[in-house]
Formats: sequence, structure tokens, C-alpha cells
Amino acid sequence: MIEVKHLTKVYGDRVAVDNISFTVNKGEVLGFLGQNGAGKTTTMKILTGFMPATEGTASIAGFDVFESPIEVKKRIGYLPETPPVYKELLVGEYLSFVAELRGVPSKERAGKIDAALQKCNLGDVRNRLIGNLSKGYRQRVGIAQALVHDPDVLILDEPTVGLDPKQVHESRSLIKSLRSSHTVIYSTHILSEVAASCDRIIIINGGKIVAQELVNPHGTAGATSKTEITVQTVNDRLVGGIKGIPGVTGVEVFSNGSHKLVVECEPRAELMAQISKYVVSENAGLTQMSPVQLSLEDYYLKLIGGRVA
Amino acid sequence: MTGTLAIIKKEIKTYFYSPLAYVLLGIFLLVMGIIFAKFVSIYVEVNAAQRFGQAQGITLDKLATYLFQNMAFILCFVTPFLTMKLFAEEKSQNTLELLLTAPIHTTGLVVGKFLGAFFLMGLMVLLSFAYPFFMILWGNPELGLIASTYLGLLLSLACYVALGALVSALASSQAVAAVWTFILLLLLWLLQSLGQGITASWGPIELGPALVYLSPLGHFNSFNEGLIQLKDLVYFVSFIFFALFLTHRVVESNRWR
Repeated sequence: MIEVKHLTKVYGDRVAVDNISFTVNKGEVLGFLGQNGAGKTTTMKILTGFMPATEGTASIAGFDVFESPIEVKKRIGYLPETPPVYKELLVGEYLSFVAELRGVPSKERAGKIDAALQKCNLGDVRNRLIGNLSKGYRQRVGIAQALVHDPDVLILDEPTVGLDPKQVHESRSLIKSLRSSHTVIYSTHILSEVAASCDRIIIINGGKIVAQELVNPHGTAGATSKTEITVQTVNDRLVGGIKGIPGVTGVEVFSNGSHKLVVECEPRAELMAQISKYVVSENAGLTQMSPVQLSLEDYYLKLIGGRVA
Repeated sequence: MTGTLAIIKKEIKTYFYSPLAYVLLGIFLLVMGIIFAKFVSIYVEVNAAQRFGQAQGITLDKLATYLFQNMAFILCFVTPFLTMKLFAEEKSQNTLELLLTAPIHTTGLVVGKFLGAFFLMGLMVLLSFAYPFFMILWGNPELGLIASTYLGLLLSLACYVALGALVSALASSQAVAAVWTFILLLLLWLLQSLGQGITASWGPIELGPALVYLSPLGHFNSFNEGLIQLKDLVYFVSFIFFALFLTHRVVESNRWR
């Protein structure tokens, strides 16, 4: 659905986005993760056709963003960082304006506006002035605006900023519910959010993609898992043996009296059994074996070069 | 096309959602009404004096000419308040991003904004028809002259609005846009009298007449005298086109900055 190839954006002498490539499949929810200023917003602005890239290509639903921007824009719903609302309009009027602007035929307009209001739980503020709404409501009006024309692709820039915990929860379930009919890209720097509602994450740092991972249902990320093994005697033969098991990618030895090994391997249960069987067969005196959960947060900090607390 | 229509409708709607449109319409009609009443009383006095041979009489058409010349000038003061928000407001409340990511060409956006503001100015001019209406009711003015004057007024207004749109696209805030639009409109008007005093020339170009030509005043005056000339039409159309073209470039440049 979305294909980005070697995208680069340079502002003056500052490289905001540095040669990034990724694809998003139809119906997928992609979380775009990174620190403030990492290049998330810039990438999104390029995808929406707001600004051109310095180099590289991007296409949405088969249309090139730079060559046929109008076709692309018809298929996109975009929520910028600050919700683009007119304070002097009523919520209903505003959505009607956006629907017309995006070319929704007048016959379908009322139905689509109702659907958007319902999806975003805005039914009770329909006739209120946007200027009088709280930040959370305005944010939701922003989301409603992005999906009022029922686009194939939704690009949401930090959709949960400024919402209270209940609203954050609601918008997460909203994003989840959009999964079936829309392809969603959304950026955030809140990790638990990604774990809760994304199929896949892209972590971006300093304009570069540092990781692209599938998110598993437990909110952990990464293609490997770590297991801590405590034995009574550690020797090279044991370490070499464990390394020899197919699927094991690394063994770290802490021999500060406690004889601990940290085994990095593919996250498969039968592999664990295999390792434990081997350690026992070596008579190393297995006393403990426990999986080390590398949380998304640790993973993220590790990737962007921060310290894992 | 529907996008442009949506923008025109939104512009007109938001004018009437704030008190601005009402206040401006009211003030404009009040000022014009005072001027009209004053002119009419002068007209009556002068023509009464003429009967006793004390002064040269003036015709109702002359009265109309003076009236509309004043109107064209007063509209210079009104325009900045209507055009200041066109783009400056969109920029300040981050809605320009919404418009620039909507499936509408920048041309459609600029034209929509222009027509939205022009519609309101047109409404203002339409309401001012009350004055010629009274002239027709009580006197016998030249109708063709009034028609050509209104055409000239609308064309001048279109120039003002196009210039206002350009300044609003350039300005960082609405207040700045209003002030600059006003200064530029005033300068354009003053070019008429400024140019008349200049005799210098630059190569084959005589600077004085060139400056006079750049001012909308002289072109409006031809319409006001009942002359519809191609050169004046060319001036107005090219002015509007050029200002809107520059506006388009400035709005488009938001994508690069």
C-alpha cells in the first residue's frame, strides 16, 4: 500500500531524513517511533504530499507522491501534529467542509460525517464550537477530520498527545478498529502505545531507520530473546556446546562467582528445552534458567544509544 | 473544483461568523451615507445658487462621479481588514497544512480564497447601490455611466483583494498583513499624483506616465467617466492575474520552508 524508497530530506545543511526505505502492507498498522526531532514528522509530511523530498520516491496505492499528488491526497487522511481545526466553526460544519474539500460527493457527505463522528465518539459535541472544546476533544476532531472521507491510508502524527488516560485508551481501540479497512501509519514516542496497537514498528533515530520489527502480542520486540542460565561450573566446552545449537545467536558469560550465562537465541520454546537438555547432559549443575524479557522500552533505548536502566 | 467551491463557501461563512463583516459593512455604508448626504446637499445648494447666477451648476452625473471616486478610495481602507486573514490566519492556526494536503491544486486554493473575499467586497458594493438608487428615484442620472462605474469599481476591488491575498500569504500575522496591504494600496493610489509631477525618463520610458499607468486610479477614472477601454481592462486583468500568480508561488513556497 505504501512504498518508500531511499527517501532523503535535507533542510539547509541539516539532514532530517536520511535514506530511509520501508513498505507498509494493506490493512497494517505501523507505529513510527522515535525521539522528538528524529524525522518522524518530516517523513509523514513527505508522504502526505505536503512537502517534496530531496531525494528518493514514495508511493501510496500505486501512485507516486511527487508525480500524482492529487491522486495520492484523495486516498490519504492526515492528522498533523497540531489538529488543523477552525475555532470559529461547529464540529459538524468543520467536518462537512473537510469532506467537501476532499471531494466527497454531496449525497454521501451526511452519512460519512455521521460515521466519522460516531467512530471518534464526537456525537455529543457535534453542534459545539471547536474553539470551546477541550484539547482532547479537538484532537479527536482532528482524527475525525482525517477519516471523514474514508481514506485507504491514514497518517496520524502523534494522535494521542494531550489526551487523558481514558481517551488514550479509546483512541488506541479506535486505531485498532481502523485496522480492517484502513492502512495506518502513526507516530508516537510513547512505547506502550505502540505495543498495544501496532502490527509493526519502525524505529527512527537521527533520520535513519534503526529497526523494523514485528510487534508480538506481549509487547516485546526483536527477533531474539535472552535466557539467563545459572550453573555450578562454567567451562569453554559448555559454552561452545550451547553456541553449537542451531538457533542460538550468542552466549555471554558472567563468571563473577555466580556462574551466569546469558544465551541469546530465537524465541522458540523447543529451543529452550534443547538448551536445558544439553546443559543437564553436560553435568554442569543447572540451578536456574529464566527468560530475560527485553521490553520494548529497553529495546528502544538500546537502539537509539541510550542506557538501559 | 468542489474543493475550490468548499473554500469559497467556508470563507464567506467565516466572515459572517465573526462580527468583522457586519462591522465593516456597517461602517462602510455609514461613511458612504454621510458623504452621499453631504454631496447631495452641496448639489442642491450649488444648483440653487446657479439660479441666481452666482455659481456654475453641476450635473447629477458629476455628483455620481465624485461619489464613486470617494467610494473607490474608501474601499482601500476596508479591503485590508477583509483580506488580512486569507492566508495569515491559516498559517497561524496550522490549517494551511490541511489545505495543502487536500486533493486540490494550489491554484484552486488561491482562486477560492480570492473569490471568497471578492464576494464579500462585491456584496458591499451591491449595498452601495442604495445611493444611485436614490438618484434614479429623484433625478435623471445617466444609467450607462453608473453601469460602467460599477464595472470599474468591481475591477478595482478585485485588484485590491488580489493584492491583499498576496500580502496575507507573505505576512506572518493578520495585523502585519492588514497594515502592509493598506500601505501598498495607498501607495498605488498616490502613484497617480506622484507620477504626474515627474518629467524624467529612463531610456525611451517616461517615468511619469509609467507611474501613472501603474496606479489603478486613472484606470478607474476612465470607467467612472463612462469609458470602457481595452487598455484599462488589460491593466486590471493583468494586475489581478499577476498578484494571484505571485500569491500562488508564495503559498506553494510553504512546502519548501
